[in-house]
Amino acid sequence: MEKKEIVRFSHVTKRYPGTLANDDVSLSVQRGEVFALVGENGAGKSTLMNLLYGMQPVTMGEIFIDGEKIGPQHCPEKAMEMGVSMVHQHFKLVPSFTVAQNILLGHEPKKKLSYDFQAVRDAVRKLSETYGLYVNPDDVTGELSVGLQQRVEILKALRTGAKVLILDEPTAVLTPQETDDLFRVIRRIVEEQGMTVILITHRLPEVMQVSDRVGVMKRGRLVKVMETAQTSEREIASLMVGRDVIFDELRQQHELGEEKLRVEELCALNDRMLPALRQVSLSVHAGEIVGVCGVEGNGQTELAECIMGMRPQTGGRVLLCGEDVSRKTPGEIRSRGVSFIPEDRMTTGVDGKASVAENLLVGKQHRPEFSLLGGLHLRRHRVKQYAAEQAEKFDIRMASVDDPVSSLSGGNMQKVVIAREFSFDSPVLVISQPTRGVDIGAIEFIHERIMQKRNEGCAILLISADLDELFRLSDRLVTLYEGQITGSFQTEAITREEIGYYMTGGGKDELAENAAKEEMRHG
Amino acid sequence: MGNSFFQSIRALFRLKPAQKLNRDYLISLLCAVLLAFLVGAGIMLLCGFDPIQCYGALFEGALGKPRAIGNTLAKAMTLALCGLAMSVAAKAGIFNVGGEGQLFMGALAAAVVGAQVKGAPAWVVVILALLASLLAGGLYAWVPGAMKVYWKVDEVITTIMLNSVATFFCSYMANGPLKTTEKGIASGTASIMKEAGFAKLIPLSNLTTAILFAAAAALFTWYLMTRSSVGFEMKLTGDNDRFAAYGGISAKKLMLWSMVLSGAICGLTGMLEVFGLHKRFMTTLSNEFYFDGMLVAMIMRYQPFGVILMSLFFAVLNIGSRSMELSAGISSEVILIVQSIIIFFMAAEGGIRTALQNRSAIRKARREAKAKEAGV
Repeated sequence: MEKKEIVRFSHVTKRYPGTLANDDVSLSVQRGEVFALVGENGAGKSTLMNLLYGMQPVTMGEIFIDGEKIGPQHCPEKAMEMGVSMVHQHFKLVPSFTVAQNILLGHEPKKKLSYDFQAVRDAVRKLSETYGLYVNPDDVTGELSVGLQQRVEILKALRTGAKVLILDEPTAVLTPQETDDLFRVIRRIVEEQGMTVILITHRLPEVMQVSDRVGVMKRGRLVKVMETAQTSEREIASLMVGRDVIFDELRQQHELGEEKLRVEELCALNDRMLPALRQVSLSVHAGEIVGVCGVEGNGQTELAECIMGMRPQTGGRVLLCGEDVSRKTPGEIRSRGVSFIPEDRMTTGVDGKASVAENLLVGKQHRPEFSLLGGLHLRRHRVKQYAAEQAEKFDIRMASVDDPVSSLSGGNMQKVVIAREFSFDSPVLVISQPTRGVDIGAIEFIHERIMQKRNEGCAILLISADLDELFRLSDRLVTLYEGQITGSFQTEAITREEIGYYMTGGGKDELAENAAKEEMRHG
Repeated sequence: MGNSFFQSIRALFRLKPAQKLNRDYLISLLCAVLLAFLVGAGIMLLCGFDPIQCYGALFEGALGKPRAIGNTLAKAMTLALCGLAMSVAAKAGIFNVGGEGQLFMGALAAAVVGAQVKGAPAWVVVILALLASLLAGGLYAWVPGAMKVYWKVDEVITTIMLNSVATFFCSYMANGPLKTTEKGIASGTASIMKEAGFAKLIPLSNLTTAILFAAAAALFTWYLMTRSSVGFEMKLTGDNDRFAAYGGISAKKLMLWSMVLSGAICGLTGMLEVFGLHKRFMTTLSNEFYFDGMLVAMIMRYQPFGVILMSLFFAVLNIGSRSMELSAGISSEVILIVQSIIIFFMAAEGGIRTALQNRSAIRKARREAKAKEAGV
């Protein structure tokens, strides 16, 4: 049977001010296939699909749906009319409505002034049966599990008779069981209904499991399209991360010091009370940067928060210079010599409403040089003086130290955080996404500062989604996948391609195998 | 008065404590006050009164005689203390709506100490009563504070509920176990030691040496909130408690202590009422004083200095309206309308200002577009 093209991108470019999100992408998706679109964070996968779904206008190039060119007035409603539906990562459901009400929202069968509840239910049942997606139309949506809510979203997307279904990171919020269910549904609607599914993901085992073809994106470009059966996770991973050469002139060779930070079999839950860390163990020595690689959402946030005492642990412990700090508060952990640069500046790293000076002061407000009479008097002129010095030292650009931090640019705000955290002279630093949303000049500056700290003999745990950054700064790398450490390497001894393989779930089976062998040997 | 004020409170909760009293805000406030007076004048005209005469009587009544000034100051003292109590807690991000109950508990504790401690010098009695009132108010605020901090129970609800508990408990005590044996006192406790009561500063007025204690408390609160390291930590906690915790501040403890301090100030207010004015605990001691103070605090965005100034203004309105009723013959409720309108405008201030700014921005853009067209 000859396959027919259903979606075609022809030299599509999408430019945002300052960045090129999609660069001359040409792609053709066939009817009745599962097409996986993979790439790192910010590679342009979601942008490309948003163009197809009409969330954003195309800058240059053309998109065809079923042979019909999309117009300049393309919008999600039009896309749906043309047979394209999209399920976003964040659900767009009314939690207090029933499943049936959500699915038919805006298309309710009318019955005089009210609408026909029975007809709604019947319609949903019929839809459910057609696609094999079973839901109870009378359940209240907000009380359902995430997997079922996703099912409701999919049904809602299919309601209009879609021919193409786009799923954006559908498994990010699902448990393994729910993921298997979802894949079963995907295969079923493709095989029985002849639908086309475009799956945006960065989990390679899933790509291998469910897709027919796979397209790899990197920095806005579509690098390669392959038949899934004829490729391997390793090949995809190496295409995803690319092979850029970086020059490394920052690092000094020196002897490692003693072990400063040790994490032993740490377990923790995420905000949704699902396991986020599964027996993570690692150690950081003085004068060493240990980089944590991994696709975001694999436990990095929870790891940093657990070490800092900002998230309760469910197992294992954290040792600081040999002392167990598992049950300590952030304040106690800080006073034992840990500084922390959090991944989210705005909610955790600064108080946006407070001034630059006040933000720089935090943590030192009880030190005698800034306060008298046990904290009853704050020496404000000294605080200002100190803030001005720090701003000078870290090249923080602002009008005045009295300005609220929220008026600063991302890079300068990050410098405020770094200036504050580096000023404690802590022997241990936990640094998370230090250069996210920061301009290139500031990145260079921040990297130099981090390296300087390492050369001074600090033990640094660096968590980042940016592989270039990790390779540039780290002495050792560990990969985190679904809350487990899947590998640990000397930076010189590993390539980006291999790391890419481990951080997308590649090493997991080996890990399990090794563990099993180990057990056999001991058993 | 309570109910309508409660509705205003809901609107005012949306004002964030951290916002500074910048120039724009003060200008808006002035406009709100003027507009409110204008609306008040309109109502007076409608009712057939001369607004100028009425307002004249208002200010005359509040500031015309030493006695009037004394009464106004005494009223302002109560308002300011209550407003500061609210501000201290709000600064750390916890809303104490239960000041009325804490005030009653403090007053009762002070009255009991004042009546029961016999044979001690007067100043000892005053100090003991002071401590008792601080303790009673503080403890009574600790309960909802701890519930909020450790169990995440909404403090607005618990404090409102605890108000009723306190007022009815005190009412029971004053009518039951602690009821005075004196004749002619409807519901009140035995009177306190005579020498321990505060002396009047201006004869025949309500102004007593209590105002010195109030001034000291206000000074302390102001200093703590704006000039101390602890106040700095409170501000951070109120702004962003996640950040405060991350920065090593024990945000929970700080919130709880702010609440306790807030309650203690309310307790002190109750004690000053007892020792200054009534010389015993009476169930009519406070007429929702705390809610008035709370509104003042909210209008001034919990800035201590502003709260003290605004308390003076509200005291003028409050005291003046009574004599306006007597001399000009118009009902004092008109002044309540004026107060409510000020609150109304200040609650809407943010929205109105953005709307005006947006409109002027749109107009400007249109004008520029037109000019461009004409140029082409």
